[in-house]
Amino acid sequence: MGRAREGDGATAYNYPRFDDYVADGGDLADEAAFWASPRPGQRAPDFALHGLPDSGQVRLSDLWRSQPLVMEFGSFT
Amino acid sequence: MFIYTREAHPAEDVQHHDSFARKLAGATLLRDETGISRDILVDDLAGTVHRAYGMMPNMTWVIGRGGRVAYKANWTSAANVEAFLIRFLAARAKHPPETTAVMYETQQVEFRYADRKRFTERLLRNGPRATAEFAKAQQLWADRPPS
Repeated sequence: MGRAREGDGATAYNYPRFDDYVADGGDLADEAAFWASPRPGQRAPDFALHGLPDSGQVRLSDLWRSQPLVMEFGSFT
Repeated sequence: MFIYTREAHPAEDVQHHDSFARKLAGATLLRDETGISRDILVDDLAGTVHRAYGMMPNMTWVIGRGGRVAYKANWTSAANVEAFLIRFLAARAKHPPETTAVMYETQQVEFRYADRKRFTERLLRNGPRATAEFAKAQQLWADRPPS
């Protein structure tokens, strides 16, 4: 959806080289971020995301309102 | 639901995201080349949703009806998610008479089966650089002191 301006805070997140990401400890920091994220029983963070191909903005809370929502995170690579 | 994040192993042929347009193109490539049939939602360029849920490259979360976290796993196992959903839905639907369902949490080690040959093929699809960078990362992991 491009909420963040292009290049604003996104450069470090979208690392271009996996070995540099590991050398910088990015994988360790991200594992720590996972365990610091909301625990079972706590409220899940709610966001609106861009639906593919062009279904506009989809709000997560609209999806989990009436039934459980399974969210798998990933990429092509 | 699939949440499309940053590319984990970008290289010459599937590059890291430097614009939201490139990110949308990556999500479209994922849909078209892997044949994924679930709906795909695309995070913003800065990874706002990915950051809020913990940054792992292939994790799964289950959010219960109403918006409370029911399950989080730092790697995805479809079999594990399915088994959890069956237990979770059954526990909420029925319980022994004269009892109430009381929530508690667990943490436990699980196992997945990494297909190294398929993973190597996937790295090659991204571009030659992806294979070389992963080999360097493996050496970095080997050199790390044990935690």
